[in-house]
Amino acid sequence: MSQSTDQHGAPPDSVIERELTHDEFDPIGTAVLITLYFLILVGMWLFTYFVEFLGNGPTVVGVIG
Amino acid sequence: MDIHSYEKAWLGAALVLIVFFIATITYGTVGAGVSMVDDSGGTVDPNNLADHERFGDPGVEQVGENEYEVNVVASAFYFNPGSDQLGFDPIQVPANSTVTFYVTSSDVIHGFSVPGTNVNTMVIPGEVAELTVEFDEPDTYGLLCNEYCGYDHHNMEGTVEVVPEDQYDGGDGQ
Repeated sequence: MSQSTDQHGAPPDSVIERELTHDEFDPIGTAVLITLYFLILVGMWLFTYFVEFLGNGPTVVGVIG
Repeated sequence: MDIHSYEKAWLGAALVLIVFFIATITYGTVGAGVSMVDDSGGTVDPNNLADHERFGDPGVEQVGENEYEVNVVASAFYFNPGSDQLGFDPIQVPANSTVTFYVTSSDVIHGFSVPGTNVNTMVIPGEVAELTVEFDEPDTYGLLCNEYCGYDHHNMEGTVEVVPEDQYDGGDGQ
């Protein structure tokens, strides 16, 4: 464990299999997962606000001010 | 600064989400007319409610074609009208009506809440809580005190009956 990095904290060259540039890093799976979470969040907000809050029985109405 | 394209997308999506939240609340207020309960009901002397024109004889009053006013006095531990379990009249209004509740307290802070809906206000002695509600469908709702008001707070409850228009008899069971 302690031998896997050198004294500067970087892995030794032999461990690196492939080096990526900034734009080549492409975590598409993570992006898809977060997009899914995002859509669930939006869907739950729509349900909570429009179905549960506005659609559920009498609602306090009036004019602001 | 070198920002990854996924990070840019996430920053953009987060901003859009905030705008979307604000837009739905704005729609609720402007489009659907959802309102907050404020202090527009005014004040009242909690020690002389019996002499007050509104709360001396609380109950349901018709003030327009489909408009009603319901004056309710909350006291430990009942709503008058409302607490039919204790012998008071239930609050009875017809369907398809616009009902304005005026609620005040004669003693301590109470709550006036119709569970499952957003009809919910604090009832403060000396203050009149005014809230306007539209009842579309016949139904029977509960009424609860949701501010701890004393040893029997948990039994402070009532009933709001929304009856079909042709069965409405004036609201006071008379």
